[in-house]
Amino acid sequence: MTELIAQALYSGLLQGGSYALIALGLALVFGTMKVINLAHGELVLLAAYIAYSVESGLGLGPMFAIPIALVIVSLTSVGVYAIISRIKKDREINSLILTYGIGVILTNFILLVWKADIRSTSSSWLQEGFEVGPLFSMRSEVIFFGVSLVLMAALWRWLSTSWYGRAVRAVASNRDAAKLMGIDPRRTEIVSFLVAGILAAFAGVALFSYGVIQPAYGSALTVKAFIITVLAGIGSIPGVLLAAVLLGVCEALTVTLASSALQELSGMVLFLLVLFILPNGLFGAARRRG
Amino acid sequence: MKTTAWIRNTLLLAAAYVAVPLALGGNQYVMSMVVAALVIGGVALSWALLGNLGGMVSFGHSAFFGVGAYVSALTTVKLGVPVLPAMLLGGAGAAAAAVIMLPVLRLRGPYFALAILAYAHIFRILATEWSSVTGGAGGVAHIPALPTVFGFELASKSGAYLVVLTLVVLCALAYSRIRASHYGLALRAMHDSEDATRVVGVNSTLLKGLMLLVSAFMAGLFGAFNAHYINFLEPDYAFSGLWVTLPIVAAIFGGYRTILGPVLGAVVVYLVDQLVFKSLIPTGHQLVLGLLLVAMIVFSPNGLLPLLLKALRRKEAGKEKQHA
Repeated sequence: MTELIAQALYSGLLQGGSYALIALGLALVFGTMKVINLAHGELVLLAAYIAYSVESGLGLGPMFAIPIALVIVSLTSVGVYAIISRIKKDREINSLILTYGIGVILTNFILLVWKADIRSTSSSWLQEGFEVGPLFSMRSEVIFFGVSLVLMAALWRWLSTSWYGRAVRAVASNRDAAKLMGIDPRRTEIVSFLVAGILAAFAGVALFSYGVIQPAYGSALTVKAFIITVLAGIGSIPGVLLAAVLLGVCEALTVTLASSALQELSGMVLFLLVLFILPNGLFGAARRRG
Repeated sequence: MKTTAWIRNTLLLAAAYVAVPLALGGNQYVMSMVVAALVIGGVALSWALLGNLGGMVSFGHSAFFGVGAYVSALTTVKLGVPVLPAMLLGGAGAAAAAVIMLPVLRLRGPYFALAILAYAHIFRILATEWSSVTGGAGGVAHIPALPTVFGFELASKSGAYLVVLTLVVLCALAYSRIRASHYGLALRAMHDSEDATRVVGVNSTLLKGLMLLVSAFMAGLFGAFNAHYINFLEPDYAFSGLWVTLPIVAAIFGGYRTILGPVLGAVVVYLVDQLVFKSLIPTGHQLVLGLLLVAMIVFSPNGLLPLLLKALRRKEAGKEKQHA
């Protein structure tokens, strides 16, 4: 029993890495633009399907899809920005409906191009076992957990030291003050969408490398990313990672102890509990309640 | 203005109740499309009520639709409740499901929208997993059809049309009553500034909660009707994202700040989608709906109907000027 739980904790930890990447993209855009991009999960899924095409069409490993996915997904992400920025009034409500519509477009685009079948990687190298003591995982899970850690560290460094990274934080904390300091909020918003797209591209390729994908999965990914940002509260990368791992562990424990069908439910329940008990998230100070 | 609106509505009702069944009643295929369009119209109306009066965007109306369908289907199949009261129970069940969502009202804007999306996922999983009650993924079959009242078969295509039309009309009337009442006034004031409205003594959370319940009841009612109309339910159908996407597109297309707009929008959008886009692109024809939604929000977020009316009014004003 203890081994099972230890194994579940380990799998959840690895899963948490790519969840964190998805959630950070969502949070970054929400920070600068105060817009929740409901099509974010679909962007991740798009990258996953590009990885599938590269693997099945060119016979290369999913890793080689990363450059193509980076270009296509970050351009799509900037395209989403270009449409959102055209909203004239009631931006809060209209941006939600708009990005929901973009999500519908992307889901059906994926359905048209790649059909409704469930896909997963056929690379045996990625699926081979990787053992750490008594704990077991696929090689791909470990690789991409490492990749997410590196990306998160890079993002942290970028946000705290680079000019644009600091501009993103400035716009997120006070848009008007940032404007007075000579920061162009529009350009900063584009950058945040670009970075969100980059994170989504990596997360998507990771998703395809260790899991299964299907066209309808996008909205579940968005919900997961949102759950993580609610858990974490807005404003800290380690918080997001911790919350993502918490969600991953929760799901893995549910699969181990109950049934895999209840996996999604456990995340939702966790989310509602936090919402009711700690409405400001586990680590955040931002106020969300009206 | 008041009388012209009244005349317009009467004419529209007469056309809907008399002309449509007479003209299309013979064509079973088109008639079933119209019924389905009105079901979407009803859900769109309930969605627009929440958006317009409550100021809330819901991506979780499939939850209310599905819960209404399941409650009504199960009470008739397992408990033997007659169909028409069971449909009301379905609405009530959906409202009860909304009661669990009330704590979410403490959240604002995007948080509410996403929390309700998460709720919709929960209900779909529950319907699949709680198989001792819901029949699980296999669904519920042999759901009793609409009854025969005074020798008139409501289960026929024309009969179902009249039932769903009446439901839509009743919901529209309830909506306009609420909008005209002092609750409606308070809700409109909240739209401008919720804080200011609270200061003058309006319990804004209570009002928003009430709107959520009313909206859920309506969506559940149409879900229940649909269950008895097609006589079969399965979780993936009853809680399908389609019951969110189509009503939103319809309401935005027709203008979600009007009462008639969502219903007319649903009829237009659904019929065009089924008759044109579905034959052009069999899988993934919802792509066009997404494009439509995006185009509407960017170019005319208040819908096409208000835009048309405005153009019409401008034309009339132009004519009057010429006369003068």
